[in-house]
Amino acid sequence: MVELAMGIMLGLCGVGAGIALIAGIGPGIGEGQAVAAACEAIGRQPEAKSDVTSTMIMGCAIAETTGLYGLIIGILLIFVAPGIFSGVLKETVLALK
Amino acid sequence: MKKLDPTVKKETAYAALWVLALSLLMEAVFLLLRRWSPAVLGGNAVGAAVAIGNYLLIGITVARAVGSPADRVAMRVRASMTGRLLGSAAICALAVGLLHTNVYATVIPLLFPRIGIAFRPMIDRKRGRTAEDPEGSDLLD
Repeated sequence: MVELAMGIMLGLCGVGAGIALIAGIGPGIGEGQAVAAACEAIGRQPEAKSDVTSTMIMGCAIAETTGLYGLIIGILLIFVAPGIFSGVLKETVLALK
Repeated sequence: MKKLDPTVKKETAYAALWVLALSLLMEAVFLLLRRWSPAVLGGNAVGAAVAIGNYLLIGITVARAVGSPADRVAMRVRASMTGRLLGSAAICALAVGLLHTNVYATVIPLLFPRIGIAFRPMIDRKRGRTAEDPEGSDLLD
């Protein structure tokens, strides 16, 4: 029974990590649209290239943070959560005995 | 190999400075909590390298996108973002799984460039930079 619970828990951690990485899709679409708009702006005002590039790099880095949050949650779910949850599970089983 | 855009260089150097400063702060916090070990230092080094590399690649992607057709740019940036995110995930997972670096010390530095950007308006204002004269970071000038 404990092995089954452990297996379900590990599986759910993996599924959770996969779902967390879906957060990377949204920023990619947003960044693409923002940079495309910036390219049009530079086309209209070529003298502003340096300013627009600088702002765009910062904007992309900010947008990407959302994806990085998902990545961090995913890594923590894979490497940290199983240890914590299995500890809790073992303590619960020992308490029930 | 193509030469790097000066704006990209400047922005990456600004982000690298923040990553370095905040990494030192993080090491100090680990020392204070008596949790410091070589694994923390290794994790911090890997995380900082990934964060700076990611920022540099953002800059290169944006600089290369300038002057290309808008529809192609959107696709290229999307592909770059997916590649960078998966690359970061793979490097961090390999570092934690194979090199046994500290998980927290590996993933926390990924957010350091964002913290640097959050402080950017404050620093620019202190140096007399305004929205009408935003020449990028002049900390390294």
